[in-house]
Amino acid sequence: MALDSSTKAVAAQRAAAAGPHRGGHAAATVRRVAGKLGSLALTLFLASLLVFFSRFLVPGDPVSFLLRGRKPSPEAIAQVTAQYGLDLPPWQQYLNWLFGALQGDWGRSLQYRQDVSTVIGERLPVTLMLVVMAGILIAIVGLSAGIVASLNKGRVLDRATLIGLTVLSAIPSFVGSIVLIAVFAVQLGWFPTFGSGEGFADTVYHLVLPSIALAIVFVVLVGKVTRSSMVEQLGREHVEVATSRGLKRGTVIRRHVFRNSLGPILTVSGILVAGLIVASTIVEAAFGIAGIGSLLVASVDRLDFPVVQAIVMLVVTTFVVVNAIIDIAEPLIDPRSAAGASAR
Amino acid sequence: MTVSNNTLAVEVMRAPKLKPANATFGIAIGVISVMTLAAIFAPFIAPYPPDQLDFAAVNAPPSPEHWLGTDGLGRDLLSRLIFGARTALLGPLLVVIGSTVVGMLLGLIAGWRGGWIDAVLGRIFDVLFAFPSLLLAIMAVALFGKGLVAPVIAMSIAYAPFVARLTRALIKAERTRPYVAAYRVQGFSGPWIALRRVLPNVTPIVGAQSTLNFGYVLAELAGLSFLGLGVQPPTPDWGAMINEAQAGIVGGHFLPALEPAVCVVLVVVAFNIIGEELSDRIGGEIPA
Amino acid sequence: MSLLDISDLTLDLPNGTRLLDGISLGVEAGETVGLVGESGSGKSLTARTVLGLTPDGSALGGRVLVDGRDLVAAGRRDVLDVRRHAAAMIFQDPRAGINPMRTIGDHMTETLRLCEGKSESEARARAIELLTAVRLPRPEDHLKQYPHEFSGGMLQRVMIAGALTSSPKLLVCDEPTTALDVTTQAEIIRVLVEQRASRGMGMLFITHDLNLAASICDRVVVMNKGRVEETGDARRVFSAPQADYTKRLVAATPTVTGSAGPVIEIRDASAPATSPVDAPGGDAAGPVPEPVAAPTPLERPDEASAITVAAAPADDEPILAVAGVSKTYHLRGKPPVHAVASTDLRLARGRALAVVGESGSGKSTLARMIVGLEEPDTGEIRVAGRDRTIVPKSRQERIAHARSVQMVFQDPYLSLDPRITAGRAIEDALRLHTELSTTGARARVVELLEQVGLGAQHAQARPRTLSGGQRQRVAIARALAIEPDVLVMDEATSALDVSVQAQVLDLVARIREERGLTLLFISHDLAVVRRVCEETVVMRYGEIVERGSTVELLAAPQHPYTQLLIDSVPKPEWAPEPRRAEASA
Repeated sequence: MALDSSTKAVAAQRAAAAGPHRGGHAAATVRRVAGKLGSLALTLFLASLLVFFSRFLVPGDPVSFLLRGRKPSPEAIAQVTAQYGLDLPPWQQYLNWLFGALQGDWGRSLQYRQDVSTVIGERLPVTLMLVVMAGILIAIVGLSAGIVASLNKGRVLDRATLIGLTVLSAIPSFVGSIVLIAVFAVQLGWFPTFGSGEGFADTVYHLVLPSIALAIVFVVLVGKVTRSSMVEQLGREHVEVATSRGLKRGTVIRRHVFRNSLGPILTVSGILVAGLIVASTIVEAAFGIAGIGSLLVASVDRLDFPVVQAIVMLVVTTFVVVNAIIDIAEPLIDPRSAAGASAR
Repeated sequence: MTVSNNTLAVEVMRAPKLKPANATFGIAIGVISVMTLAAIFAPFIAPYPPDQLDFAAVNAPPSPEHWLGTDGLGRDLLSRLIFGARTALLGPLLVVIGSTVVGMLLGLIAGWRGGWIDAVLGRIFDVLFAFPSLLLAIMAVALFGKGLVAPVIAMSIAYAPFVARLTRALIKAERTRPYVAAYRVQGFSGPWIALRRVLPNVTPIVGAQSTLNFGYVLAELAGLSFLGLGVQPPTPDWGAMINEAQAGIVGGHFLPALEPAVCVVLVVVAFNIIGEELSDRIGGEIPA
Repeated sequence: MSLLDISDLTLDLPNGTRLLDGISLGVEAGETVGLVGESGSGKSLTARTVLGLTPDGSALGGRVLVDGRDLVAAGRRDVLDVRRHAAAMIFQDPRAGINPMRTIGDHMTETLRLCEGKSESEARARAIELLTAVRLPRPEDHLKQYPHEFSGGMLQRVMIAGALTSSPKLLVCDEPTTALDVTTQAEIIRVLVEQRASRGMGMLFITHDLNLAASICDRVVVMNKGRVEETGDARRVFSAPQADYTKRLVAATPTVTGSAGPVIEIRDASAPATSPVDAPGGDAAGPVPEPVAAPTPLERPDEASAITVAAAPADDEPILAVAGVSKTYHLRGKPPVHAVASTDLRLARGRALAVVGESGSGKSTLARMIVGLEEPDTGEIRVAGRDRTIVPKSRQERIAHARSVQMVFQDPYLSLDPRITAGRAIEDALRLHTELSTTGARARVVELLEQVGLGAQHAQARPRTLSGGQRQRVAIARALAIEPDVLVMDEATSALDVSVQAQVLDLVARIREERGLTLLFISHDLAVVRRVCEETVVMRYGEIVERGSTVELLAAPQHPYTQLLIDSVPKPEWAPEPRRAEASA
């Protein structure tokens, strides 16, 4: 197909060379964004099907599933049946759940006897804080490691960074957590071992170790993709051209290498978002932080399925939305992606 | 002359000469071998049964009787670590095999056939990408109960799309190569070209990625046990051991938690080193 | 003082490999010096040292004086100074050489703003001035556009304008037209020559194309394997080469002109106004400018007479008959592309027909339809009287189609399966198409390898260990194994160095002689075609614009596009020497 792709390229150029057509450009942008949003909605819809109907994979009747581990008193059965409309056909149950969820009503927690949205709402801020702090760490450390390594490709600093990243990548967050607790909290006593503190400053203080533990593996991913993306761009001819024109090395790196390697870095970062939220379950468990993650574990532990469903849907939605934003914003980095030309 | 990465990749992989194995690569292979042997022959190697209690030696430091000390119930840590290697390695092995087989098959179909099949599979993968593997595993536990079975199945499903997407990208790139057109012109059938010629050309790259996946899966399954959702006590398992020993840390008893942690890190590092070395030999960069 | 004075330049890699070995050459102001050689000769590396662009960790020896500064010994400041004021470089592939994520305006003004401290508006004014100088049609608009919106030819003009922003005294051009079609090449060369003359720059012009070097250079330096083989006046070096290597190179280089070359006359006779190149802003219409509206009255009679020529040798059915074939690609959101439009071809047994055209002419699509990789929308393809129009599906159809036509592909690096040895590749084909036993097939493999000038020892070789020429020989042997009625060669030699190309072309000629092979030869290169084929058709935008015997067509082209193609092939100003007997005849 190499051959007809050249035919296509020629055709595209014939069309492009015909002149600038800004009007068509705006329309194309609208169409592109609309397409991405449609795709986002479809993905979310399919994910919601998966999350909701997964319950039907479990053999046995739904009432006893929801009431596992609890006393199936007639009142409880009646209450659960009414609340979840378990006597309705499945698709109607799904629609009720979906429209409820769209309005922020995720049902009631079996464990906490509260609205699921309330339970989650109470725990969300601390998890967000944790994820944001880890995100900042990841961005700073990951990017710098990747940049430093790529600019010294093949030299000692590069090898050292790579070895360091390989070792870090093998430190799962639970290992990181217990080591950090053992060293900095128990032995040195610099940080608290437990909880998330009160007030902003105290929360930040409490979350220092957890965010480090959370960031470790993701620093590696960002560092590696930064390095390989930078190395790829450094080998490009346009970089040599820029150098040949007498630009300083720093200028070349900033304007032509780093700028051009942002695409893959952003893409990977987008994919990391969901992993970060999920990995916070482990960190929260290790540090006794009452966030979404520990709520998820507790809900699984106590068979509180409505809460599990809601949290899963929350994570999935975050992932899909963040990635859609990155996708839509791509032409700001690479103008070719807007033209539909093959990217990179 | 543009010789594409992948073609080169395959060529290098097939090169008969093995690069002088560097030291770390050798050590990594050694670590995996030792762990595997320990897992297989656990009953013959372990000095004590893994759940034998010794209340005379609770949280004991390393000694001639207990080389690596004991935990809060006086169980021999070395024995528990040796037995723990079983679940630690078995889970990821099943996940990697399952996800690689399923992923390669779907990736081959999507990449080779293209068209609506590719579109449908691509959409399914997109949906599954939104479920991080650990989340899917947790959801599986919520549905089917704790243990190793549900998480292993869930993680296989979660990893398959990654393998599939990689395979698809490689197959798609390979499919446009003139050598494939040359086979067609010679009269070979599409399935023959796909299975006998193209698939073997991409397998080494997928294999290297799956080796890397092994380490990640191991860490995640251990994490699940750490959360108390995976392998259940008293079965010896590294993640579960850390979970049980967590309470002791504040009391200053680090070893029962640290030792399984070191095991996890060692094995994951070893798999990372092997995976990276393999993909370096193949030609490095894996298309997104 | 010379503008550029390289003496005894050596370059060693950290592992001890010597890539440049005692290079000496000089460029005076106002002079064009050609640096010619095949791949691996070190010509690009030499050129890059002029701007201090050397591989990481490499060690330089000797002297590279640029405008009085020695770059071998220079510090960072001096290197920057040379790059900013003394010399500038134009690279081979403009699409790779201009940052795809920044605007043309950014590329043009970047150095002015960041190195010379010019204000935004000053820089912009200068950019527009330079874009106008290289004859880009709408400089103001172009500043806002991105590289992907440009054709290769337009981008190379941007690259030239970009190099001129620093008003260099020395312009280094590294194969600046190799990635371009021949008509575009001619336009770019014209711009380069014009700018060099008007600015009085010295120019170091690196190329693998001897004809191109001969046509624009005052002096040439011939390089091979990191050494200078010969230096001298361009005319002298090409007409009376001294070094053995140069002699071989010159002999291997095909030309469009020969002893029977009334081409110059024809060029003078053709009205320049019909030549789209001369139309101002012609490039704006597309990579190749839109021609006079299709079918001109000229074309029809041509076609009729051409068919007679092509069909002349025999009254019976030709071995390859393409009738009214067309193929249109529909791309989402783009106007449909008529890759091939109602095309007819007839090829008699044992003859060789060339299909010549530039990129996008549809010649490769035509070839792919003939070998059954794509299906025509309309029309019919027959080989040896059997219908071969559709893409074969069943096993029987596939094998029958394969026996009718085989193809040798353009890029020998990609057309062989990297994992499969040369012998195995041929054996696979034999096994599919013959009933030979394992030992029989093995013996036949060796026979075939020997036929294409390889030996039994190559049977075990993987493509990686073979050179480009050897790989293409394997591809030919593999095609011959099936004993097809027609062999299609799609740009089969264009990726090869000229000396290797000559060997492969000789091989093809020999096989044709021995086996009476019928050949369809797809190429962009008129000079190569002249060496191989008796008959030629010229394609443009999916249509055949002219056909006839190759000698006549080259000597007296009728269609303006054919004339343009022939005129665009670089030729030295001095009378061409008859270097080689006519290939055809």
